[in-house]
Amino acid sequence: MAFRLAFCLNLNWPGNSRNDMVRRTDIKRYFADQLPKIVLAPSGLIILVITYGFIAWTASISLSSSRVMPIYDFVGLEQFIRLWSTPRWYIAVKNLFIFSALYLSIATFFGLFIAILLDQRIRAEGFLRTVFLYPMALSFIVSGVAWKWVLNPGLGIQNVVRSWGWTSFTFDWLVNPNYALYTVVIAAVWQSSGFAMAIFLAGLRGIDNSIIKAAQMEGASQVRIYVSVVVPMLRPAFLSVVVLLGQIAIKTFDLTFALTNGGPGGATEMPSMFMFSATFERNQMAVGAASAMMMLAAVVAIIVPYLYTELRKPANDQ
Amino acid sequence: MINKMRNFERYGGRLFVYGCLAFLATLYLVPLWVMLITSFKPLDEIYSGSLIGLPKQFTFEAWSKAWSTACIGTNCVGLSPFFLNSLIITVPSVFVSTSIGAINGYTLAKWKFRGSDLFFAFMLFGCFLPLQAVLLPIARVLGMLHLSGSTAGLILVHTVYGIAFTTMFFRNYFVSFPDELTKAALVDGAGFFRIFFSIALPTAIPIAVVCCIWQFTSIWNDFLFGVSFSAGGSSPITVALNNVVNVTLGRKQYNVDMAAALIAALPTLIVYVLSGRYFVRGLTAGAVKG
Amino acid sequence: MRSRTLLLGAAICGMMSATAQAEEKSIEVIHHWVSDSEVAAVNTIKQELEKHGVIWKDAAIGGANGVNAEQSLRARIVAGNPPGAMQMLGYDASTWAKEGVLRDLTDLETANGGADLIPPDYKRLAAPDGKWVEVPINLHRSNWIWANKKAFDAAGIGIPKTWDELIASGEKLRKAGIIPLAASDEAWQVAKIFDSLIIDLNGPEFYTRVALKVDDKAIRSPEMVKVFEKLRQVRGLVDDNFVGRDWAVASEMVASGKAGMQIMGDWAKGEFLAKNLKPGVDFLCFPTPTSTPNFLWAMDSFSMFETTDPNLRAAQDELVKVILDPEVQIKFNLIKGSIPPRLGVDMSKFDDCAKQAAADLKTAIDNKSFLGTLSGGYAAEPQFAAIFKEVAGKFFVSDMSAQDAVTLLADEIDNAR
Repeated sequence: MAFRLAFCLNLNWPGNSRNDMVRRTDIKRYFADQLPKIVLAPSGLIILVITYGFIAWTASISLSSSRVMPIYDFVGLEQFIRLWSTPRWYIAVKNLFIFSALYLSIATFFGLFIAILLDQRIRAEGFLRTVFLYPMALSFIVSGVAWKWVLNPGLGIQNVVRSWGWTSFTFDWLVNPNYALYTVVIAAVWQSSGFAMAIFLAGLRGIDNSIIKAAQMEGASQVRIYVSVVVPMLRPAFLSVVVLLGQIAIKTFDLTFALTNGGPGGATEMPSMFMFSATFERNQMAVGAASAMMMLAAVVAIIVPYLYTELRKPANDQ
Repeated sequence: MINKMRNFERYGGRLFVYGCLAFLATLYLVPLWVMLITSFKPLDEIYSGSLIGLPKQFTFEAWSKAWSTACIGTNCVGLSPFFLNSLIITVPSVFVSTSIGAINGYTLAKWKFRGSDLFFAFMLFGCFLPLQAVLLPIARVLGMLHLSGSTAGLILVHTVYGIAFTTMFFRNYFVSFPDELTKAALVDGAGFFRIFFSIALPTAIPIAVVCCIWQFTSIWNDFLFGVSFSAGGSSPITVALNNVVNVTLGRKQYNVDMAAALIAALPTLIVYVLSGRYFVRGLTAGAVKG
Repeated sequence: MRSRTLLLGAAICGMMSATAQAEEKSIEVIHHWVSDSEVAAVNTIKQELEKHGVIWKDAAIGGANGVNAEQSLRARIVAGNPPGAMQMLGYDASTWAKEGVLRDLTDLETANGGADLIPPDYKRLAAPDGKWVEVPINLHRSNWIWANKKAFDAAGIGIPKTWDELIASGEKLRKAGIIPLAASDEAWQVAKIFDSLIIDLNGPEFYTRVALKVDDKAIRSPEMVKVFEKLRQVRGLVDDNFVGRDWAVASEMVASGKAGMQIMGDWAKGEFLAKNLKPGVDFLCFPTPTSTPNFLWAMDSFSMFETTDPNLRAAQDELVKVILDPEVQIKFNLIKGSIPPRLGVDMSKFDDCAKQAAADLKTAIDNKSFLGTLSGGYAAEPQFAAIFKEVAGKFFVSDMSAQDAVTLLADEIDNAR
């Protein structure tokens, strides 16, 4: 604080005494020490406002009686009680858990599996990599329509397989309220497992070959080497995958919107859709805000401990 | 005997690898295939129930309609002008957010201070914010800055909401950047910025590519901000695409929809194809070494 | 630094648009008409407006039944940058009127002969506090059945007089190898059948209690259980591939004779006319069967946003005038498939289905059975209407019992009160 004050004074009244010179180097050093913080300050400030400030705003709306436009009054936890007595919300929450668990594990598995396959010095790697990556580039507003057709029992896979002669083949998940959520998982895995693949592939390329060679010398089988040596070394890659896919899972909106629009009969409702429709369709802005707060609470509960342990690790290792 | 076994194992393994890859690649290509063949079909053929099969009649009509005559509201000019809008919005936002991410990531990884990891976690949390919830405060701030409904406003919003992601990419990269190099430079009298610009940044090109691809994809494909913070003629391509595709009470022109979607996806597809190699190389360079 | 440049840029842009406004009158209009025929219809307004010296600046945002456009509007109002005018559905205008952002159009509407010439139930939404806040451009009828004439002949059936007869006819169609009813699992399409059933089986008074007043007793009544039971029977007429089916695809099924009937609003007519099919000859249009003739309506309207800019106000005045112009209403609705909301407009250019709608409209007004459609959001307020839609949709795709559906509906509505 004193330094900062001196710094200001110094700027205002540049002196030329020896004493001042000494002070100036002090200031310079102080400035250099503080430089990292100064560089980060603008971003920190922006994040503070656009993330935490706006979360605070959402929190205040969730405690208000807002319907169409924000009203800044206080009704306590009324909207949360309302939210938790809405059956649709329960379905949405349950769906999010099922969806996130399946999506994260399957996309991670496929990402890793494909990356390992691609890492076997194969031909046409560039082409194949693009094939697995391209779904990320497509807007789901439309690829959702293609998926709808593919998954539609009368038009897509079921129909094709039956026309091959296997007439009892049934694949009607899209139509079946008990299974429709899994079609959303399929489409989501299709869309982003390529990204997981890229991250894992990069991780694999970063691994020192001598370690694998050493394991081979000891006579371990290929599968064994991957399971017990290589995969554990991909730990940082798992962090990136979980963060990037996790945020996609929680924000999932376009996907369900385009593929099932929450149907059949609300079976694929997701919290983000619930929030959108409460806020912009049903004129229940405060309920929408309450649902957003619950989503954030879920993020805090699941991701923060994970981030905490993962970020702690390298510090302990050093 | 042992050799034969090894050979069998090796060839069997190869077969397994290629078999799996071919099978998976086919699966991944199915939706693209459906979109492509649909875009080349005349509309009547689609409505008469042929959705998956090859077109009986092959036509480019849908493509030219989507590009230059499809109606986006009452302006029947196709997607072309909106394509330009999206470029104007995307390029600066990608550039600025990546630059900010680079310096932030470098600082967080190489100039650690008390609480710098906490600061990083504090930033990462921003990635998980459900953006639908904060549309109105963003709108309010844009209104106060007199940027509502303008391209500049969209650029600003995309830039600031990209910082969390870009910082993560660069931070994870620079963490594995050898401390010895920075320390040696410090001893040589180089400062914070000098080390960044002449030592750290030149090695960070691959991760910059990754970061740009990520940002380009998410900003180019953004619909939520586009629809909320742009007005009429300044809309990005996703909003125009939505107007072509999301017809509720009119007849859906599936062939034009698919062609339009493929046109809208073209830049990102090209980016993926051209830089796919750098993408993995960039990630390899250390993005994932946490 | 960066934000300062941006600010400067924005200020320059602002000045430029201000000078542009001084030279010409223009009005920015948000709407969600994006299909080819809808755009053609909007162009009739746009062109007429330009004859009045006002430029229509288009801000179309399609999709999600107008929810996307609604989202954009909110962001703009919060930012203090509302459009000049916007297309309004259901409760939109009365909701925004309460926020005090809409212009009072009472004088304009009266001066242009609108207020007295528009059907009565509309006033409930268009003039919530006695002040008009929106002007209508079209009048859709929601409870139509579209049928294939050849299919009906093949099955040996005529226009059904009751829902039971309709279901029996459906079975005959099935025996003739025709899908009886082309439908979808989309909640809004199911809700179209659902709200027709409420009014057809129980009359307009009951419909008013359930759908407009959201009366708990009426919703929990045995009559509603019967409505759901009937909906279950109707579900039996639908084929298995109904998931995610677009309504226009369903129309196509009827037009080609693959299916016998479709229950859909009058926008479906365009699908038949586009194939040069003639009403009465190739296809049939008749209202959903009932002993108490009714007319479930949906109207598209425009509201003007409050502004102090005299040029924009003048442009808004012109737009109101153009929308209420009988000639514009005729041109617009000929393309859109609906009928003019102004009463007493010359119907000679319209097709037989539209003529029947205009005739039924008069009877329905006399019988007090001209009522807003629940599925379109013209009956109950949005937070309730959405629940009706949701429960009907859920019931249609699951094997929920009718009693459970009634309980779920009533409980969810209580929670939203």
